[in-house]
Amino acid sequence: MGKITKELVDDYAKKLLIGLTKEENDLVLKEFDIITEQMELIANIPGIEKIEPMTHALDRYLDDLDDDYVEEAIEINEALSNCQSYVDREVKVPKVVENNG
Amino acid sequence: MNNKYQATIGLEMHCEMKSNAKVFSHAKNAFSNLANSNISAIDLAFPGILPTLNKECVKKALEMSIILNCKQPKYIYFDRKNYYYPDLPKGYQITQMHEPVGVDGFLEYDVNGEVHKALIHDIHLEEDSASLDHYSDYSLINYNRAGVPLLELVTEPCFHNADEAIAFLEEVKRIYEYTDISEADSKKGQIRCDVNVSISEDDTLGTKVEIKNVNSFGNVYEAINYEIKRQIDLKEAGRYQEVEQETRRFDEETGTTIRMRSKVDAIDYKYFVEPNIPKYKVTDELIKEIKARIPTLPKERKAKYLNEYHLSLYDTNIIIKNKDYADYFEECLALKLPPKTVANWLTGVIISYLNKEIITLKEFYLTPKLLKQIIDKVEDKTISIKQAKEIFLKSLEERKEPITYINSDNKQISDKEYLLNIIMTILANNEAQVAAYHAGKTNLFDFFVGQVMKETKGKANPVLTKEILQEKL
Amino acid sequence: MDSEIIKLHEMLIKKEITSQELIKESLAKSHEVQEKCNAFVTILDDALAPEVTDDYLSGIPFGIKDNYATKGILSTGSSNTLKNYVPFFDATAVCNLKNHGAVAVNKTALDEFGMGGTGTTCHTGAVKNPWDQKRMAGGSSAGSATAVALGVYPYALGSDTGDSIRKPAAFCGIVGYKPTYGMISRYGLFPFASSMDTCGVLTRTVKDAAIVVDAMKGKDAKDLTSWDSKNINLYKSLDGQVKGKKLFYIKELVDMANYQNASDELIKHLKNFQEVIKKCQEIGLIVEEVSLDLTLLKAIPSVYVCLSCAEATSNMSNLTGIIFGPRGEGKTPEEIIMNHRTKGFSPLIKRRFVIGSYVLQKENQERYFLNAARLRRIIVDKIKELFKTYDGLILPVSTGVAPYLDGSKDELVKDDTAPLEEHLQIANFGGFPSITIPSGHIFSLPVGVNITGNCYDDANVLNIAYALEKSLGFKNLKQGGKHE
Repeated sequence: MGKITKELVDDYAKKLLIGLTKEENDLVLKEFDIITEQMELIANIPGIEKIEPMTHALDRYLDDLDDDYVEEAIEINEALSNCQSYVDREVKVPKVVENNG
Repeated sequence: MNNKYQATIGLEMHCEMKSNAKVFSHAKNAFSNLANSNISAIDLAFPGILPTLNKECVKKALEMSIILNCKQPKYIYFDRKNYYYPDLPKGYQITQMHEPVGVDGFLEYDVNGEVHKALIHDIHLEEDSASLDHYSDYSLINYNRAGVPLLELVTEPCFHNADEAIAFLEEVKRIYEYTDISEADSKKGQIRCDVNVSISEDDTLGTKVEIKNVNSFGNVYEAINYEIKRQIDLKEAGRYQEVEQETRRFDEETGTTIRMRSKVDAIDYKYFVEPNIPKYKVTDELIKEIKARIPTLPKERKAKYLNEYHLSLYDTNIIIKNKDYADYFEECLALKLPPKTVANWLTGVIISYLNKEIITLKEFYLTPKLLKQIIDKVEDKTISIKQAKEIFLKSLEERKEPITYINSDNKQISDKEYLLNIIMTILANNEAQVAAYHAGKTNLFDFFVGQVMKETKGKANPVLTKEILQEKL
Repeated sequence: MDSEIIKLHEMLIKKEITSQELIKESLAKSHEVQEKCNAFVTILDDALAPEVTDDYLSGIPFGIKDNYATKGILSTGSSNTLKNYVPFFDATAVCNLKNHGAVAVNKTALDEFGMGGTGTTCHTGAVKNPWDQKRMAGGSSAGSATAVALGVYPYALGSDTGDSIRKPAAFCGIVGYKPTYGMISRYGLFPFASSMDTCGVLTRTVKDAAIVVDAMKGKDAKDLTSWDSKNINLYKSLDGQVKGKKLFYIKELVDMANYQNASDELIKHLKNFQEVIKKCQEIGLIVEEVSLDLTLLKAIPSVYVCLSCAEATSNMSNLTGIIFGPRGEGKTPEEIIMNHRTKGFSPLIKRRFVIGSYVLQKENQERYFLNAARLRRIIVDKIKELFKTYDGLILPVSTGVAPYLDGSKDELVKDDTAPLEEHLQIANFGGFPSITIPSGHIFSLPVGVNITGNCYDDANVLNIAYALEKSLGFKNLKQGGKHE
């Protein structure tokens, strides 16, 4: 695993669609040092790879699933009440060019 | 195609499922012309919303997994696929990456009468994104589609030409229709495919190119053939290095594929388990219950039509291609109508009528019960085939039961005494022709039949008429 | 407003006071506290008195942390990304309290989206400690803790992902209760880390905490992780009978010998804890020392950071300014999202996102995110094993009193005291019920002690806290009381 660098941090931030200042970037690097050191210790715990990662807080299963019923749709004026750019019933954004999905 | 090369094709087929509500919310799962009319707070990802989980969607997904001979997981749970795009309100899609609803399956399908076996990598349940409408300098977002249940079926790279790929897709589409898991209507945008294509000269696979979001089987066919040719042409020209691991899209207008991005730029989706949906146990009882509800599938129906009802392959293929046709056919059989006769009606006049009127069989006035009124009267020789077809059209035109037209003056004359009288009169009035007939001009037989029909305004039972004529001549 | 809920309820029923008067008093106090400590995002000056019924909560004012969606009321999560967001639905927990006749009088400030422990990263500015305005209130439920400590009302809603209810409660000298995960529906709570987020309450007495959570809890069809707790009545379970109940504490965290160069404050804090243990024993509780692997304990903060940041970066991907929130500037959708997020998030959150994103990357996920999730299980299994023998885990909260505002950083630090500072996160790893109560004072500032029990065993945990509260004598503590 390569060491995390300033450039890498900026790249991650960009992918998250956020910009970082230099100070913010520095702080991230500092915190990474601590995390990396701890995770190094964790990785060395014997048999850790055999443990099932804990993904939910409780060991409970869903008793049952939802029936296939329809609830009334939300009102369009409610849906758009916080939206700062829309046309008629639809949310407006600058033109979407390439499909990345 | 240049025989030196073998193409290898893998498919990803996304199909919108049929259900009342969406998969992770209770908004309506239906197409609407009115934008943002089938939406909930969940679909728009307002802060604090949490997903629910639709039982019907889970059951249908498991049903398809069983039909595709896949292994089902012990627990149903979901993962988040994280990426930013304006059509994805939460910034992640809820999907199944770790434990799809089905893995390692297969499906047998026919290519021109030959049985092929497609290998299924996995099938998983996920949600659809919102739809975007593009204008000159802006786009509009409609969230009606956001959260609609999707099944994504991923095959192994197990097809070698476009015909195989299409035959497979057609078979899957039929299964969706027959099971009511999906309407599988590509005209409504319910099916979208991603296609992987590579070429090779030997056993080592070539560079894989992905063509994303192809929206009809016709386009899948064209995209595959174009891509195979493009890659072979480059290879022949010594420029195979230009075939890159990349994502392309199919351009309908030009019938070509166009580069979108390199795989090197592929997004890291940072999958992790969706913490808001606890695991749901897939019990033996649940699987049993789902197995019990799987209807007779097209392939089984096909075998039955061919082997038990002795229909022609041609008719069989036409009937099973569309679940409505097959259901109609089987309803007729339940009414004790003879299979071959029904098949003739269905593949002949009925389908051509539907095509002419551009309606579906569901909108067709003559239900199996009403069709039976006509077929029964043909069978007992009350009316002729020709009359039957006239009654068929008249009944459709006037929207009145066929029996209306059979009981009155259309009734076929099968009274032997009555017909004999008419025939004797005709023979007496046409002595010259009788003589000529006896002299060897046997084709005059039709002349006499014609005369009888003229006299009876076409209502004479043709079989009986011919019998009497043969006897008296 | 300084009284307990039952007392206020009796006064209302006897018509010694009206709900309208309580609201008026609460609002006046809110403005005062806002002036002094900057605790609120919104004060609801037009709050209307509901009908007073037999319900204990009816007609009594309360505060709502601003990361709960409130219908028709600004709900910001203390973030500029939602500085203008007015939900059209109520969070289930809020809705449940409304149905009990409770009346909200303000929305309290928090560390942006709950991602912090200082109360200094609110978009409206830092919240100040009610006991000393140069100090922090602790976070993230900073405004709620401050307002309850200053007697604005008997209770305010909090949320707890790492210690966000229990730490500010200790710093402000009040009670902070995080129930078992899923006891209260999270629907409408702005998510931070969904697998650890828990709704809860800040009060001045254990009894009040029981009454309020009884009203908030319940299985909710909108939250699949919520569960049916009809058979649990917290308030009725408080009988103070704790004789023979067993608690344990973790030797490695409270043993003075483990801290070289311990500060005077830390020494006092650990001494306070020893006094608490004595009080426990006086009321018949059995308290035992248990030794745990220091490697596990030291890893707690990093495990927490890996898991919570990963979930947070995903949970907050809906904050794009497209459907709600201030619209960013730009020529492409990507630019408007980037502009919205860069301007909207505080530096702390941005750093957390980068960490979360890093640990989830394909090439790092195994070593960071998944190993953290594995260690989470190891820690939880270990504690659950101990809960087979013990009714609860008792430990001091933090390493002392509320730190000063300047110099508050909310960074991961490499320090001997880190496990002591962060151990409350264990309860979030396991979904355990956990309550902090005031345990005394150092330098005239409050400190607290925490009791954590097994999942679904809330009634037992609260009852122990109830008995200890009585024995310690800091019940209904308000700022100003001096106990050294």
